Amino acid sequence: MMNARENMDAVIKGGNPERFCNNYEAIQLLFDPFAMHNPRAAKGQENVVDAWGVTNSFPANVPGAFPVHTPDKIVIKDFEEWEKYLKAPSLDFTAEEWAIFKAQYDAVDRSQSYAATFVAPGLFERMHHCGGIENALMAFYECEDEVHDLIKYLTEWELKYAEGVCKNLKPDAVFHHDDWGSMKSTFMSVGMFEEFFVDAYKEIYKYYHEHGCKYVFHHSDSYGATLVPDMIEMGIDVWQGCMSSNDLPTLVKKYGDKITFMGGFDGAMVDREDATPEMIKEIVYNYLDAVGTAKGFIPCIAQGGPGSVYPQVYHWLMDAIDQYSIDKMGVKKEEITRLPLQILF
Amino acid sequence: MAIADVYKLVEKGKSKLIAEAVEEALEDGDSAVDILNDGMIKAMDKVGEKFKNGEIFVPEMLIAAKTMKKGVEVLKPHLATGAAGALGKVIIGTVAGDLHDIGKNLVIMMLESAGFEVIDLGVDVSKEKFVETYEANPDTKIICCSALLTTTMPALKDTVALINAQPFRGSVKVMVGGAPISQAFADEIGADAYTEDAASCAKKAKELAA
Repeated sequence: MMNARENMDAVIKGGNPERFCNNYEAIQLLFDPFAMHNPRAAKGQENVVDAWGVTNSFPANVPGAFPVHTPDKIVIKDFEEWEKYLKAPSLDFTAEEWAIFKAQYDAVDRSQSYAATFVAPGLFERMHHCGGIENALMAFYECEDEVHDLIKYLTEWELKYAEGVCKNLKPDAVFHHDDWGSMKSTFMSVGMFEEFFVDAYKEIYKYYHEHGCKYVFHHSDSYGATLVPDMIEMGIDVWQGCMSSNDLPTLVKKYGDKITFMGGFDGAMVDREDATPEMIKEIVYNYLDAVGTAKGFIPCIAQGGPGSVYPQVYHWLMDAIDQYSIDKMGVKKEEITRLPLQILF
Repeated sequence: MAIADVYKLVEKGKSKLIAEAVEEALEDGDSAVDILNDGMIKAMDKVGEKFKNGEIFVPEMLIAAKTMKKGVEVLKPHLATGAAGALGKVIIGTVAGDLHDIGKNLVIMMLESAGFEVIDLGVDVSKEKFVETYEANPDTKIICCSALLTTTMPALKDTVALINAQPFRGSVKVMVGGAPISQAFADEIGADAYTEDAASCAKKAKELAA
Protein backbone atom coordinates (compact mmCIF):
# COMPACT_ATOMS: atom_id res chain seq x y z
CA MET A 1 0.00 0.00 0.00
CA MET A 2 1.04 3.58 -0.59
CA ASN A 3 1.79 5.71 2.40
CA ALA A 4 0.18 9.14 2.79
CA ARG A 5 2.81 10.94 0.73
CA GLU A 6 2.83 8.40 -2.08
CA ASN A 7 -0.93 8.43 -2.19
CA MET A 8 -1.02 12.23 -2.36
CA ASP A 9 1.51 12.13 -5.22
CA ALA A 10 -0.86 9.84 -7.09
CA VAL A 11 -3.77 12.22 -6.39
CA ILE A 12 -1.90 15.27 -7.67
CA LYS A 13 0.13 13.75 -10.48
CA GLY A 14 -2.54 11.70 -12.19
CA GLY A 15 -1.54 8.33 -10.76
CA ASN A 16 -3.82 5.80 -9.23
CA PRO A 17 -4.45 6.75 -5.61
CA GLU A 18 -5.50 3.85 -3.45
CA ARG A 19 -7.71 5.99 -1.25
CA PHE A 20 -8.76 9.60 -0.75
CA CYS A 21 -5.89 11.74 0.43
CA ASN A 22 -7.15 13.03 3.75
CA ASN A 23 -6.88 16.71 4.71
CA TYR A 24 -3.31 17.76 5.61
CA GLU A 25 -2.08 14.21 6.30
CA ALA A 26 0.83 14.41 3.84
CA ILE A 27 2.04 17.96 4.36
CA GLN A 28 3.65 19.44 7.43
CA LEU A 29 3.48 23.23 7.57
CA LEU A 30 6.67 24.80 8.89
CA PHE A 31 7.95 28.25 9.77
CA ASP A 32 11.22 30.13 9.29
CA PRO A 33 13.30 32.81 11.05
CA PHE A 34 11.09 35.63 9.80
CA ALA A 35 8.57 34.40 12.36
CA MET A 36 11.07 35.33 15.09
CA HIS A 37 11.19 38.91 13.87
CA ASN A 38 7.54 39.34 13.03
CA PRO A 39 5.53 39.79 16.24
CA ARG A 40 2.10 38.19 16.11
CA ALA A 41 -0.79 38.96 18.41
CA ALA A 42 -1.47 36.01 20.69
CA LYS A 43 -4.97 35.35 22.01
CA GLY A 44 -5.90 38.15 24.35
CA GLN A 45 -3.28 40.58 23.03
CA GLU A 46 -4.22 43.84 21.41
CA ASN A 47 -2.30 46.28 19.22
CA VAL A 48 0.74 44.14 18.45
CA VAL A 49 2.76 45.74 15.64
CA ASP A 50 4.30 43.29 13.16
CA ALA A 51 7.46 43.64 11.09
CA TRP A 52 5.59 45.52 8.35
CA GLY A 53 4.19 48.01 10.84
CA VAL A 54 0.71 46.48 10.72
CA THR A 55 -1.11 46.57 14.06
CA ASN A 56 -2.94 43.36 14.91
CA SER A 57 -5.32 42.55 17.72
CA PHE A 58 -6.57 39.19 18.94
CA PRO A 59 -9.31 39.78 21.51
CA ALA A 60 -9.85 36.75 23.72
CA ASN A 61 -13.40 36.22 22.48
CA VAL A 62 -12.57 35.88 18.78
CA PRO A 63 -10.96 32.98 16.89
CA GLY A 64 -8.07 34.82 15.26
CA ALA A 65 -6.03 38.01 15.00
CA PHE A 66 -7.11 40.86 12.75
CA PRO A 67 -5.30 43.92 11.42
CA VAL A 68 -6.45 47.17 13.00
CA HIS A 69 -7.24 49.90 10.50
CA THR A 70 -8.10 52.93 12.56
CA PRO A 71 -6.68 56.07 10.87
CA ASP A 72 -3.82 56.32 13.38
CA LYS A 73 -2.73 52.71 12.83
CA ILE A 74 -3.12 52.18 9.12
CA VAL A 75 0.32 51.78 7.48
CA ILE A 76 -0.35 52.87 3.90
CA LYS A 77 -2.40 55.99 4.38
CA ASP A 78 -2.60 56.67 0.66
CA PHE A 79 -1.91 54.02 -1.98
CA GLU A 80 -0.87 56.68 -4.45
CA GLU A 81 2.07 57.45 -2.16
CA TRP A 82 2.67 53.98 -0.72
CA GLU A 83 6.46 54.40 -0.96
CA LYS A 84 6.25 57.13 1.65
CA TYR A 85 4.72 54.78 4.17
CA LEU A 86 5.88 51.23 3.49
CA LYS A 87 9.24 49.72 4.30
CA ALA A 88 9.67 45.99 3.82
CA PRO A 89 11.31 44.29 6.79
CA SER A 90 14.78 42.82 6.66
CA LEU A 91 15.25 39.22 5.60
CA ASP A 92 18.79 38.90 6.87
CA PHE A 93 18.92 36.23 9.52
CA THR A 94 21.83 34.65 11.34
CA ALA A 95 23.05 31.12 10.70
CA GLU A 96 21.91 30.22 14.22
CA GLU A 97 18.39 31.41 13.46
CA TRP A 98 18.22 29.40 10.26
CA ALA A 99 19.57 26.36 12.14
CA ILE A 100 16.67 26.39 14.62
CA PHE A 101 14.18 26.02 11.77
CA LYS A 102 16.33 23.69 9.68
CA ALA A 103 16.15 21.23 12.55
CA GLN A 104 12.34 21.32 12.32
CA TYR A 105 12.44 20.69 8.57
CA ASP A 106 14.93 17.86 9.06
CA ALA A 107 12.69 16.27 11.66
CA VAL A 108 9.97 15.62 9.07
CA ASP A 109 10.11 12.11 7.64
CA ARG A 110 9.95 13.08 4.00
CA SER A 111 9.31 9.56 2.85
CA GLN A 112 5.86 9.99 4.41
CA SER A 113 5.08 13.70 4.22
CA TYR A 114 6.09 16.92 2.51
CA ALA A 115 7.83 19.64 4.50
CA ALA A 116 6.17 22.84 3.38
CA THR A 117 7.10 26.42 4.10
CA PHE A 118 4.09 28.31 5.39
CA VAL A 119 3.77 31.76 3.82
CA ALA A 120 1.11 34.24 4.90
CA PRO A 121 -0.14 36.75 4.10
CA GLY A 122 0.17 36.84 0.32
CA LEU A 123 0.49 39.80 -2.03
CA PHE A 124 -3.12 40.94 -2.03
CA GLU A 125 -3.52 40.30 1.68
CA ARG A 126 -0.33 42.25 2.41
CA MET A 127 -1.76 45.16 0.45
CA HIS A 128 -4.95 45.27 2.46
CA HIS A 129 -3.34 44.48 5.78
CA CYS A 130 -1.18 47.54 5.23
CA GLY A 131 -3.79 49.84 3.76
CA GLY A 132 -7.26 48.50 4.56
CA ILE A 133 -9.24 46.36 2.14
CA GLU A 134 -11.58 49.04 0.89
CA ASN A 135 -8.79 51.47 0.10
CA ALA A 136 -6.78 48.64 -1.46
CA LEU A 137 -9.62 47.59 -3.73
CA MET A 138 -10.34 51.15 -4.82
CA ALA A 139 -6.66 51.72 -5.50
CA PHE A 140 -6.79 49.24 -8.38
CA TYR A 141 -8.87 51.89 -10.14
CA GLU A 142 -7.64 55.09 -8.61
CA CYS A 143 -3.87 54.65 -8.88
CA GLU A 144 -3.22 51.69 -11.13
CA ASP A 145 0.45 52.48 -11.84
CA GLU A 146 1.31 52.90 -8.18
CA VAL A 147 -0.42 49.62 -7.34
CA HIS A 148 1.61 47.86 -10.02
CA ASP A 149 4.75 49.28 -8.44
CA LEU A 150 3.61 48.23 -4.98
CA ILE A 151 2.92 44.67 -6.11
CA LYS A 152 6.36 44.57 -7.75
CA TYR A 153 7.92 45.72 -4.47
CA LEU A 154 6.04 43.04 -2.50
CA THR A 155 6.94 40.41 -5.10
CA GLU A 156 10.62 41.25 -4.86
CA TRP A 157 10.44 40.88 -1.09
CA GLU A 158 8.71 37.53 -1.47
CA LEU A 159 11.35 36.34 -3.93
CA LYS A 160 14.11 37.27 -1.53
CA TYR A 161 12.22 35.48 1.22
CA ALA A 162 11.84 32.40 -1.02
CA GLU A 163 15.55 32.49 -1.80
CA GLY A 164 16.48 32.40 1.89
CA VAL A 165 13.98 29.67 2.69
CA CYS A 166 14.89 27.42 -0.23
CA LYS A 167 18.63 27.82 0.33
CA ASN A 168 18.62 27.34 4.07
CA LEU A 169 15.65 25.12 4.85
CA LYS A 170 15.15 23.12 1.65
CA PRO A 171 11.39 22.64 1.75
CA ASP A 172 9.88 20.28 -0.81
CA ALA A 173 6.60 22.19 -0.93
CA VAL A 174 5.28 25.65 -0.19
CA PHE A 175 1.93 26.45 1.37
CA HIS A 176 1.10 30.00 0.42
CA HIS A 177 -1.88 31.99 1.62
CA ASP A 178 -3.66 34.75 -0.26
CA ASP A 179 -7.44 34.97 -0.08
CA TRP A 180 -8.89 36.08 -3.36
CA GLY A 181 -12.58 36.05 -2.64
CA SER A 182 -15.53 35.69 -0.36
CA MET A 183 -17.72 32.62 -0.09
CA LYS A 184 -19.72 33.47 -3.18
CA SER A 185 -17.54 35.65 -5.35
CA THR A 186 -14.00 36.69 -6.13
CA PHE A 187 -12.99 40.06 -4.70
CA MET A 188 -12.27 41.38 -8.17
CA SER A 189 -12.98 40.58 -11.79
CA VAL A 190 -10.90 38.00 -13.62
CA GLY A 191 -9.51 40.79 -15.82
CA MET A 192 -8.32 42.83 -12.85
CA PHE A 193 -6.87 39.74 -11.18
CA GLU A 194 -4.96 38.89 -14.32
CA GLU A 195 -3.68 42.40 -14.77
CA PHE A 196 -2.28 42.71 -11.26
CA PHE A 197 -1.49 39.29 -9.85
CA VAL A 198 -0.91 36.53 -12.38
CA ASP A 199 2.60 37.52 -13.50
CA ALA A 200 3.70 38.28 -9.94
CA TYR A 201 2.64 34.86 -8.69
CA LYS A 202 4.06 33.14 -11.76
CA GLU A 203 7.42 34.54 -10.82
CA ILE A 204 7.17 33.58 -7.15
CA TYR A 205 5.87 30.06 -7.75
CA LYS A 206 8.36 29.43 -10.55
CA TYR A 207 11.12 30.23 -8.07
CA TYR A 208 9.83 27.70 -5.54
CA HIS A 209 9.39 25.06 -8.23
CA GLU A 210 12.90 25.60 -9.53
CA HIS A 211 14.42 25.49 -6.07
CA GLY A 212 13.29 22.21 -4.64
CA CYS A 213 9.56 22.55 -4.12
CA LYS A 214 7.70 19.86 -5.95
CA TYR A 215 4.33 21.33 -5.10
CA VAL A 216 2.87 24.76 -4.65
CA PHE A 217 -0.20 24.72 -2.44
CA HIS A 218 -2.13 27.96 -2.60
CA HIS A 219 -4.70 28.72 0.08
CA SER A 220 -7.74 30.85 -0.70
CA ASP A 221 -10.80 29.77 1.26
CA SER A 222 -13.28 31.33 -1.03
CA TYR A 223 -15.13 31.09 -4.26
CA GLY A 224 -12.56 31.14 -7.04
CA ALA A 225 -13.80 28.87 -9.83
CA THR A 226 -13.41 31.63 -12.39
CA LEU A 227 -9.74 32.03 -11.43
CA VAL A 228 -8.80 28.38 -11.91
CA PRO A 229 -7.24 28.81 -15.40
CA ASP A 230 -5.12 31.63 -13.93
CA MET A 231 -4.16 29.51 -10.94
CA ILE A 232 -2.92 26.84 -13.35
CA GLU A 233 -0.96 29.45 -15.28
CA MET A 234 0.57 30.74 -12.04
CA GLY A 235 1.95 27.29 -11.32
CA ILE A 236 -0.35 26.32 -8.48
CA ASP A 237 -0.43 22.55 -8.06
CA VAL A 238 -3.03 22.43 -5.33
CA TRP A 239 -5.73 24.98 -4.56
CA GLN A 240 -6.40 24.54 -0.87
CA GLY A 241 -9.48 26.13 0.64
CA CYS A 242 -11.77 25.75 -2.35
CA MET A 243 -15.20 26.04 -0.81
CA SER A 244 -18.23 24.01 -1.77
CA SER A 245 -19.67 27.08 -3.52
CA ASN A 246 -17.23 26.33 -6.36
CA ASP A 247 -19.06 23.23 -7.59
CA LEU A 248 -16.03 21.04 -7.06
CA PRO A 249 -17.46 17.94 -8.76
CA THR A 250 -17.53 19.91 -12.02
CA LEU A 251 -14.17 21.60 -11.47
CA VAL A 252 -12.42 18.33 -10.62
CA LYS A 253 -13.76 16.80 -13.83
CA LYS A 254 -12.73 19.80 -15.91
CA TYR A 255 -9.36 20.67 -14.39
CA GLY A 256 -8.40 17.82 -12.05
CA ASP A 257 -5.59 16.66 -14.33
CA LYS A 258 -3.95 20.10 -14.15
CA ILE A 259 -4.61 21.29 -10.62
CA THR A 260 -5.76 19.48 -7.48
CA PHE A 261 -8.67 20.84 -5.47
CA MET A 262 -8.15 20.56 -1.72
CA GLY A 263 -11.21 21.55 0.23
CA GLY A 264 -14.95 21.08 -0.10
CA PHE A 265 -15.72 21.23 3.61
CA ASP A 266 -16.51 24.80 4.56
CA GLY A 267 -16.46 25.87 8.18
CA ALA A 268 -20.17 26.62 8.00
CA MET A 269 -20.84 23.03 6.87
CA VAL A 270 -18.85 21.09 9.43
CA ASP A 271 -16.99 23.31 11.89
CA ARG A 272 -20.02 24.08 14.00
CA GLU A 273 -21.01 23.96 17.61
CA ASP A 274 -23.75 21.46 16.80
CA ALA A 275 -21.54 19.14 14.70
CA THR A 276 -21.61 15.42 15.47
CA PRO A 277 -19.56 12.57 13.98
CA GLU A 278 -22.71 11.21 12.32
CA MET A 279 -23.56 14.55 10.73
CA ILE A 280 -20.02 14.95 9.42
CA LYS A 281 -19.96 11.40 8.10
CA GLU A 282 -23.17 11.99 6.16
CA ILE A 283 -21.80 15.23 4.68
CA VAL A 284 -18.52 13.53 3.75
CA TYR A 285 -20.15 10.53 2.12
CA ASN A 286 -22.53 12.67 0.09
CA TYR A 287 -19.73 14.98 -1.01
CA LEU A 288 -17.25 12.27 -1.95
CA ASP A 289 -20.00 10.45 -3.85
CA ALA A 290 -20.68 13.68 -5.75
CA VAL A 291 -17.03 14.27 -6.65
CA GLY A 292 -16.67 10.61 -7.54
CA THR A 293 -12.88 10.44 -7.83
CA ALA A 294 -9.82 10.58 -5.59
CA LYS A 295 -7.75 11.98 -8.48
CA GLY A 296 -7.28 15.72 -8.48
CA PHE A 297 -9.22 16.11 -5.25
CA ILE A 298 -8.17 16.17 -1.60
CA PRO A 299 -11.14 16.34 0.74
CA CYS A 300 -10.17 18.91 3.34
CA ILE A 301 -11.49 21.44 5.78
CA ALA A 302 -11.44 24.82 4.01
CA GLN A 303 -9.38 26.64 6.62
CA GLY A 304 -5.77 27.34 5.78
CA GLY A 305 -4.01 24.93 8.09
CA PRO A 306 -4.68 21.65 9.88
CA GLY A 307 -7.21 21.78 12.69
CA SER A 308 -10.64 23.26 13.24
CA VAL A 309 -12.30 25.91 15.36
CA TYR A 310 -14.14 23.17 17.29
CA PRO A 311 -11.19 20.84 17.93
CA GLN A 312 -13.00 17.53 17.61
CA VAL A 313 -14.37 18.42 14.16
CA TYR A 314 -11.05 17.94 12.35
CA HIS A 315 -10.69 14.45 13.81
CA TRP A 316 -14.26 13.51 12.93
CA LEU A 317 -13.68 14.75 9.40
CA MET A 318 -10.48 12.71 9.11
CA ASP A 319 -12.25 9.62 10.47
CA ALA A 320 -15.17 10.00 8.06
CA ILE A 321 -12.89 10.37 5.02
CA ASP A 322 -10.85 7.32 6.04
CA GLN A 323 -14.03 5.35 6.61
CA TYR A 324 -15.24 6.28 3.14
CA SER A 325 -12.01 4.93 1.64
CA ILE A 326 -12.49 1.74 3.68
CA ASP A 327 -16.15 1.32 2.73
CA LYS A 328 -16.00 2.35 -0.91
CA MET A 329 -12.44 1.69 -2.08
CA GLY A 330 -11.67 -1.55 -0.29
CA VAL A 331 -8.86 -0.15 1.82
CA LYS A 332 -8.18 -1.78 5.18
CA LYS A 333 -7.93 0.48 8.21
CA GLU A 334 -4.46 -0.82 9.10
CA GLU A 335 -3.25 -0.01 5.58
CA ILE A 336 -3.82 3.72 6.10
CA THR A 337 -0.51 5.07 7.33
CA ARG A 338 0.50 8.64 8.03
CA LEU A 339 2.67 10.69 10.37
CA PRO A 340 1.04 11.88 13.61
CA LEU A 341 -1.41 14.64 12.77
CA GLN A 342 -0.19 18.21 12.87
CA ILE A 343 -2.69 20.64 14.38
CA LEU A 344 -1.82 24.23 13.59
CA PHE A 345 -4.99 26.15 14.31
CA MET B 1 -29.00 65.54 -19.51
CA ALA B 2 -27.04 66.79 -16.48
CA ILE B 3 -28.74 64.27 -14.19
CA ALA B 4 -28.00 61.56 -16.73
CA ASP B 5 -24.33 62.54 -16.52
CA VAL B 6 -24.40 62.27 -12.73
CA TYR B 7 -26.01 58.84 -13.08
CA LYS B 8 -23.28 57.68 -15.48
CA LEU B 9 -20.45 59.01 -13.35
CA VAL B 10 -21.78 57.31 -10.21
CA GLU B 11 -22.36 54.06 -12.05
CA LYS B 12 -18.82 54.14 -13.46
CA GLY B 13 -17.27 55.34 -10.19
CA LYS B 14 -15.67 58.50 -11.56
CA SER B 15 -15.09 60.17 -8.22
CA LYS B 16 -12.83 62.90 -9.58
CA LEU B 17 -15.46 64.13 -12.03
CA ILE B 18 -18.62 63.96 -9.96
CA ALA B 19 -18.37 67.29 -8.10
CA GLU B 20 -18.27 69.26 -11.32
CA ALA B 21 -21.15 67.29 -12.82
CA VAL B 22 -23.33 67.87 -9.76
CA GLU B 23 -22.55 71.59 -9.81
CA GLU B 24 -23.44 71.73 -13.50
CA ALA B 25 -26.72 69.95 -12.85
CA LEU B 26 -27.56 72.46 -10.12
CA GLU B 27 -26.63 75.35 -12.40
CA ASP B 28 -28.88 73.88 -15.10
CA GLY B 29 -31.75 74.15 -12.66
CA ASP B 30 -32.13 70.52 -11.63
CA SER B 31 -33.30 70.23 -8.05
CA ALA B 32 -30.96 68.76 -5.48
CA VAL B 33 -33.55 66.12 -4.58
CA ASP B 34 -33.88 65.06 -8.23
CA ILE B 35 -30.12 64.87 -8.63
CA LEU B 36 -29.92 62.74 -5.48
CA ASN B 37 -32.80 60.44 -6.34
CA ASP B 38 -32.62 60.16 -10.13
CA GLY B 39 -28.90 60.67 -10.58
CA MET B 40 -27.29 59.00 -7.61
CA ILE B 41 -29.64 56.64 -5.81
CA LYS B 42 -30.91 55.17 -9.08
CA ALA B 43 -27.33 54.70 -10.27
CA MET B 44 -26.45 52.90 -7.04
CA ASP B 45 -29.53 50.69 -7.45
CA LYS B 46 -28.14 49.71 -10.84
CA VAL B 47 -24.69 49.13 -9.32
CA GLY B 48 -26.23 46.95 -6.63
CA GLU B 49 -28.13 44.95 -9.22
CA LYS B 50 -24.98 44.40 -11.29
CA PHE B 51 -23.07 43.35 -8.17
CA LYS B 52 -25.79 40.90 -7.23
CA ASN B 53 -25.71 39.44 -10.73
CA GLY B 54 -21.94 39.06 -10.67
CA GLU B 55 -21.42 41.58 -13.47
CA ILE B 56 -19.26 43.80 -11.28
CA PHE B 57 -17.19 43.19 -8.17
CA VAL B 58 -16.33 44.88 -4.89
CA PRO B 59 -13.89 47.47 -6.32
CA GLU B 60 -16.50 48.76 -8.78
CA MET B 61 -19.10 48.95 -6.05
CA LEU B 62 -16.71 50.78 -3.73
CA ILE B 63 -15.71 53.41 -6.24
CA ALA B 64 -19.35 53.96 -7.20
CA ALA B 65 -20.26 54.46 -3.53
CA LYS B 66 -17.29 56.78 -3.04
CA THR B 67 -18.38 58.78 -6.08
CA MET B 68 -21.88 59.11 -4.73
CA LYS B 69 -20.53 60.22 -1.36
CA LYS B 70 -18.49 62.95 -3.02
CA GLY B 71 -21.51 64.01 -5.03
CA VAL B 72 -23.69 64.17 -1.91
CA GLU B 73 -21.11 66.47 -0.28
CA VAL B 74 -21.70 68.96 -3.07
CA LEU B 75 -25.45 68.49 -2.84
CA LYS B 76 -25.77 68.73 0.92
CA PRO B 77 -25.98 72.54 1.23
CA HIS B 78 -28.83 72.39 -1.28
CA LEU B 79 -30.78 69.62 0.41
CA ALA B 80 -33.27 70.03 3.23
CA THR B 81 -31.82 68.69 6.48
CA GLY B 82 -32.06 64.93 6.57
CA ALA B 83 -32.92 64.50 2.90
CA ALA B 84 -29.81 62.42 2.33
CA GLY B 85 -30.99 59.95 4.95
CA ALA B 86 -34.66 60.31 4.20
CA LEU B 87 -35.54 56.63 4.46
CA GLY B 88 -34.71 56.61 8.17
CA LYS B 89 -32.10 55.29 10.53
CA VAL B 90 -30.47 51.90 10.51
CA ILE B 91 -28.25 50.57 13.29
CA ILE B 92 -25.67 48.06 12.14
CA GLY B 93 -22.85 46.04 13.67
CA THR B 94 -20.96 42.75 13.60
CA VAL B 95 -21.85 40.75 16.68
CA ALA B 96 -19.68 40.04 19.74
CA GLY B 97 -16.63 37.90 19.07
CA ASP B 98 -16.53 38.69 15.36
CA LEU B 99 -14.14 41.21 13.82
CA HIS B 100 -15.20 40.89 10.19
CA ASP B 101 -16.23 44.15 8.65
CA ILE B 102 -15.92 43.99 4.86
CA GLY B 103 -19.44 42.70 4.25
CA LYS B 104 -20.88 45.00 6.88
CA ASN B 105 -19.18 48.00 5.32
CA LEU B 106 -20.53 47.10 1.89
CA VAL B 107 -24.00 46.89 3.38
CA ILE B 108 -23.52 50.34 4.95
CA MET B 109 -22.53 51.81 1.59
CA MET B 110 -25.54 50.33 -0.12
CA LEU B 111 -27.89 51.43 2.67
CA GLU B 112 -26.53 54.98 2.65
CA SER B 113 -26.68 55.05 -1.11
CA ALA B 114 -30.29 53.92 -0.94
CA GLY B 115 -31.13 56.86 1.33
CA PHE B 116 -30.77 55.54 4.88
CA GLU B 117 -28.87 57.19 7.70
CA VAL B 118 -26.63 54.48 9.13
CA ILE B 119 -25.30 54.24 12.68
CA ASP B 120 -22.29 51.95 12.42
CA LEU B 121 -21.42 50.27 15.72
CA GLY B 122 -18.38 48.58 14.19
CA VAL B 123 -17.27 45.03 14.97
CA ASP B 124 -17.36 42.84 18.09
CA VAL B 125 -20.51 44.61 19.26
CA SER B 126 -22.18 43.39 22.44
CA LYS B 127 -25.88 42.61 22.36
CA GLU B 128 -26.44 45.27 25.01
CA LYS B 129 -24.83 47.88 22.75
CA PHE B 130 -27.40 47.22 19.99
CA VAL B 131 -30.21 47.73 22.49
CA GLU B 132 -28.64 50.83 24.10
CA THR B 133 -28.12 52.39 20.68
CA TYR B 134 -31.72 51.80 19.74
CA GLU B 135 -32.88 53.33 23.01
CA ALA B 136 -30.78 56.39 22.25
CA ASN B 137 -32.22 56.47 18.71
CA PRO B 138 -35.84 55.35 19.04
CA ASP B 139 -36.65 56.55 15.52
CA THR B 140 -34.47 53.75 14.11
CA LYS B 141 -36.31 51.70 11.51
CA ILE B 142 -34.01 48.67 11.25
CA ILE B 143 -31.30 46.94 13.27
CA CYS B 144 -28.86 44.93 11.13
CA CYS B 145 -26.63 42.32 12.76
CA SER B 146 -23.88 40.45 10.99
CA ALA B 147 -21.93 37.27 11.84
CA LEU B 148 -19.22 35.82 9.60
CA LEU B 149 -18.20 32.83 11.66
CA THR B 150 -19.92 29.66 12.75
CA THR B 151 -18.53 30.43 16.20
CA THR B 152 -20.38 33.74 16.35
CA MET B 153 -23.75 32.42 15.18
CA PRO B 154 -24.69 31.88 18.86
CA ALA B 155 -23.81 35.54 19.55
CA LEU B 156 -26.09 36.55 16.68
CA LYS B 157 -28.84 34.39 18.15
CA ASP B 158 -28.33 35.97 21.60
CA THR B 159 -28.34 39.48 20.13
CA VAL B 160 -31.59 38.92 18.27
CA ALA B 161 -33.10 37.26 21.35
CA LEU B 162 -32.27 40.30 23.47
CA ILE B 163 -33.73 42.68 20.88
CA ASN B 164 -36.83 40.48 20.60
CA ALA B 165 -37.33 40.73 24.36
CA GLN B 166 -37.42 44.53 24.33
CA PRO B 167 -40.63 46.52 24.62
CA PHE B 168 -39.66 48.46 21.49
CA ARG B 169 -39.46 45.31 19.35
CA GLY B 170 -42.73 46.02 17.58
CA SER B 171 -41.36 49.33 16.30
CA VAL B 172 -38.18 48.08 14.68
CA LYS B 173 -37.25 45.45 12.14
CA VAL B 174 -34.28 43.13 12.61
CA MET B 175 -32.18 42.01 9.64
CA VAL B 176 -29.34 39.47 9.79
CA GLY B 177 -26.62 38.42 7.39
CA GLY B 178 -23.15 36.93 6.98
CA ALA B 179 -21.52 33.95 5.30
CA PRO B 180 -22.78 31.12 7.54
CA ILE B 181 -26.27 32.61 7.98
CA SER B 182 -29.26 31.25 6.12
CA GLN B 183 -32.95 32.05 5.88
CA ALA B 184 -33.64 29.02 8.05
CA PHE B 185 -31.29 30.29 10.77
CA ALA B 186 -32.81 33.76 10.55
CA ASP B 187 -36.28 32.25 10.99
CA GLU B 188 -35.10 30.09 13.88
CA ILE B 189 -33.68 33.02 15.83
CA GLY B 190 -36.63 35.31 15.16
CA ALA B 191 -35.15 37.89 12.78
CA ASP B 192 -37.48 39.67 10.38
CA ALA B 193 -35.29 39.26 7.34
CA TYR B 194 -32.14 37.68 5.96
CA THR B 195 -30.45 38.71 2.75
CA GLU B 196 -27.42 37.19 1.14
CA ASP B 197 -25.62 40.25 -0.16
CA ALA B 198 -25.31 44.00 0.28
CA ALA B 199 -27.50 44.94 -2.67
CA SER B 200 -30.32 42.65 -1.58
CA CYS B 201 -30.02 44.03 1.94
CA ALA B 202 -30.58 47.60 0.75
CA LYS B 203 -33.54 46.49 -1.36
CA LYS B 204 -35.10 44.55 1.50
CA ALA B 205 -34.44 47.40 3.94
CA LYS B 206 -36.40 49.75 1.68
CA GLU B 207 -39.35 47.35 1.74
CA LEU B 208 -39.19 46.97 5.51
CA ALA B 209 -38.89 50.71 6.11
CA ALA B 210 -41.74 51.60 3.78
